[in-house]
This record gives sequence, structure tokens and C-alpha cells, in this order.
Amino acid sequence: MLEISELSAGYEGIPALRAVDFKVGDRARVAVLGPNGAGKTTLLKTISGVVAPDCGTMRLEGEDLGKLASHRRVEAGLVHVPQGRMIFASMTVADNLRLGSHRAAARDRHDERRELVLELFPALGGMLRRDGGALSGGQQQMLAIARGVMACPRLLMLDEPSMGLAPRASEEIFEGIARLSESETTAMIVVEQRAHEALEICERAYVLESGEVVLEAAAKTLLSDERLAATYLGSEI
Amino acid sequence: MIEFLQFLVPGILIGGVYALLASGLGLIFGVMRVVNFAQADFMMLAMYLSWAIFAGGVGLDPFLAAPLVFAAFFVGGMAVHWLFVRHVIGRRENHDAQVILTIGLGLIFQNLILIRYSSEPRVVAPSYANDGDFVGEIFISRVRLYAFLLSVVVAALLFLFLNRTRTGRAIRAASENWEAATYMGVDIGRTNLIAFGVGTALTAVGGSALVTFQSITPFVGLRFVVVMFAAVVLGGLGSVGGAFVGGVLIGIIQSVSQVWTSAAVKNVWVFGLFLLILYVRPNGLFGKVQRAI
Repeated sequence: MLEISELSAGYEGIPALRAVDFKVGDRARVAVLGPNGAGKTTLLKTISGVVAPDCGTMRLEGEDLGKLASHRRVEAGLVHVPQGRMIFASMTVADNLRLGSHRAAARDRHDERRELVLELFPALGGMLRRDGGALSGGQQQMLAIARGVMACPRLLMLDEPSMGLAPRASEEIFEGIARLSESETTAMIVVEQRAHEALEICERAYVLESGEVVLEAAAKTLLSDERLAATYLGSEI
Repeated sequence: MIEFLQFLVPGILIGGVYALLASGLGLIFGVMRVVNFAQADFMMLAMYLSWAIFAGGVGLDPFLAAPLVFAAFFVGGMAVHWLFVRHVIGRRENHDAQVILTIGLGLIFQNLILIRYSSEPRVVAPSYANDGDFVGEIFISRVRLYAFLLSVVVAALLFLFLNRTRTGRAIRAASENWEAATYMGVDIGRTNLIAFGVGTALTAVGGSALVTFQSITPFVGLRFVVVMFAAVVLGGLGSVGGAFVGGVLIGIIQSVSQVWTSAAVKNVWVFGLFLLILYVRPNGLFGKVQRAI
């Protein structure tokens, strides 16, 4: 599905990604783990086209992403749920979801998708007419993911879906993501600080450190091998 | 009380036109963070176009010609955006260049018109220009009433466009958070282009609403530019609805102040209240959170 090789990117000369090789198979769910500043968010932003790569190639089902503007990548099915949620605070929940359907392939499926996302996150059902900004942090995160799912993604990228949330709220988020992976065949990249939760949803994991891939392993291996986990993920597991 | 109403009603009528003028400026600022100093000169150009259509043989009433003016300035605004403005916004954002570009465009427009039509004031006087009706003891000028109604209709259409159409929603999304809008697949270049065209056309229609009671010169924009900016800031930068309320409010203050003081100092009242409101609410009446630019 997604094949990235030798990708480097940075901000004004300061490298954030160094020669990263990264792959997501069809229908695969891949976790990207690592400490703050490891380059996880930069990796997603480079895939979305918000950060321009210095070198390397990115291919989505064989098509060269480097030639596509950001909005064209969304048209191709690459949907990014950004860190910090970035919901449209002055617009209603319903309008936020409608913007999720902006992609041409999703436009005619708005009603059907909305039913799906309300099943994933039932809490949103009663708040469709409320302004996005009036929602709690956890509800905003649900809305951000729901908005991404509205676009009928072929590859959904979730950046730190549990960031800043209380344990209870983050649990609800992960339950929603788990329901999504059961009902949909969408491929997923999950960037997370809470490694354990991410590994339970995903099959494979990459660990980034200082912009480099230091480990690529099956999620099960990382979950069961305490020494490996301790080395690469600290005491998080 | 009657005296008060006699000033309040015309204030609301002219305020509606101010609101329309300001909404274009507010839309452009809200979507692409460009302070367009040429905005009032687009209004001036639109007034000359209305005059040319009316006096230049076609004889079309300026209120009926408003859709033509809108269409012409929608296209013209997009052309200006494509040729100039898009190079100084977004990733290549440069505030100095934006100021110089838009002030420069305004000067070019003013002087081109000066060369072509001289500084002689032009007047558009339809047959009903001096008509009016008494409602009770309050005189309502026909042309000012039509100008107000035109503004209300355009405002309603703008509201529908921004809230009910796919492109309108994309424009609102881009104005709130361009990065998030990009993740939705919104083409920011396109929303900027359309928003600039619509913003220019809104102010232009405000110009057509004015011509029946405001004489036209190449520098007429200077009389309105201050009101437009005050309305936008008063309402809250970036809020189109706020710009509307700001415009109406300024019209009312200008007019009602004449109950107590001479018309010559009406703008003193406007800016007195302007400063007071910004002192209490630094982000304007409807400005929400201060957004990072």
C-alpha cells in the first residue's frame, strides 16, 4: 500500500527524519513509536505533504506521492488525523463531519459514513448540533477521528490519538479505533506515546529515535519480549 | 423620541451598506490573513462601472446592474489574486509585501481612473433619486432603502454560500485552520482564489448600492476605507458576521450622533466607541480566540 524509502526531511536545515524506510502493507496496521522529538509527527506530515521531503521516495500503491499536492493525496485516499485534533471549533459537529466528506470519493457516501462513525463513537450522536469548540478533549479527539473516517480513507494516519486525555477518555478512543479496525479494511498508521495500547491494535511496529528507524518488529514480539520493549520503549510497557 | 428615530432609521440603512462593504474585507482577511488596502478602491472601480452602465448608453439602473457588477468583480478579484496576491500569502507569506502590494494596487487604480475620467465628480441619478416615503413622521429615502435591501439580499446569499455549499464550508474551514482543511482534501489555493473573488465582489456590490446617493470620484474610496476597517476590527477580525454587525453599528452611531452634535464630528463618535469596545474586548465583538498567524 505505502512504500517509503530513504526519506529525509527537516525544518530549515535541522534534520527530523534521516533516510527512513517504512512500509505499510494492504490492510495492515502499523504502530510508530518512540520518544518525543523522534520524528514521528514529521513522518506523517511528510506523507501528507505538509512538510516537504529533502530526499527519498514515497509511493502509494505504486503512485509517486512526491508529485501530488497535499489535497491530491487526500483524493488518493491518504487521510491524516493530526496531532492536537485540529477540529473546526467554530463549526458544528455535523459540519465538521461534512468536511470529512469533502473528498470526491466520499461525497456521495456522507450519510452512510456518518452512521458508521456514530457507531464507532456513540457519544458524538447527541452532539451533532453543538460547536466543535464546546466539546471536551476526549470528544474532540473522537470527532477528529470520525472526521477522518468520513473520508473513506484507504490509509488512515492517526497522530497521538490519546495525547492529553485522561485514562478513561483515552480508553474510549482506543475502543473506537479497535471497532474501526474490525469493521473496516482500511490500512492504518498509529503514532502513539502509549505504546501498549497502540501495539494491541497493530500488527507491526516501527520505533523511531532521533529521526531514524531503530527497530521494526511484529507487535506481538514487542508485547511479549520484555527485554526488547525495555530497551526501545523504556518502561512504557 | 421621534427625532432619535429620524436619525436611527437612516443610520441602519447606510449601516447595511457599510456592512456589505466590510464583509468583503473581512472575508479576505479571515481566509488568507491579507489586509487588503485596495479594497475601497475596488469599491470605487465598481462605482465607476455602475455609472458607466447607467450613463454610458445602456441606461441600466444600478440596483438592477448589481449582479453584473458582482460577476465582473468576482472574475476581476480572482485575476488580481492569481496575478499578485497568491505570491505573498501561504508558505511565501510576507506581510510587508502584502501591504505594499495592496496599497500600490489601490494607487494604480485611483490614478488610472483619474487619467481616464478626471477628478470631476460623477453622479448616478435615476428618476426616483429624490423620492421617499413617510412612515409616520420618519422620512425614508427610496434609494437608501433600496441600497439597504440590496445589502440584505447579498448578505443572505453570502450566508447561504458559506454555510450550505461545499465550497463555502471549505472556505470557512480554511479560514479557521488551513492545515486541518488541507487534511480534509481542501485545495487551499482554490479556496483562497474563490474567497478573494467573492470578497472583492461583495465590496463592489456595496459600491453599486452607494452610487445613487454618493457622488463618484477617483478618491471616493478614502471616505469609506476607514469605516470598512473599523467595522471589521469592531466585529472581530476574521469574522464575516462580525464585520456585518460592525458595519451596521457604525452607520447607526454616525447617524444618531447627529441628534447631539454636528455631522462634521460623526466619526469622532465612531472612533470613540471603537476605542472603548476594543478596550473592553480586544478581539472585537465577535472575535473568539486570538489565532496564531
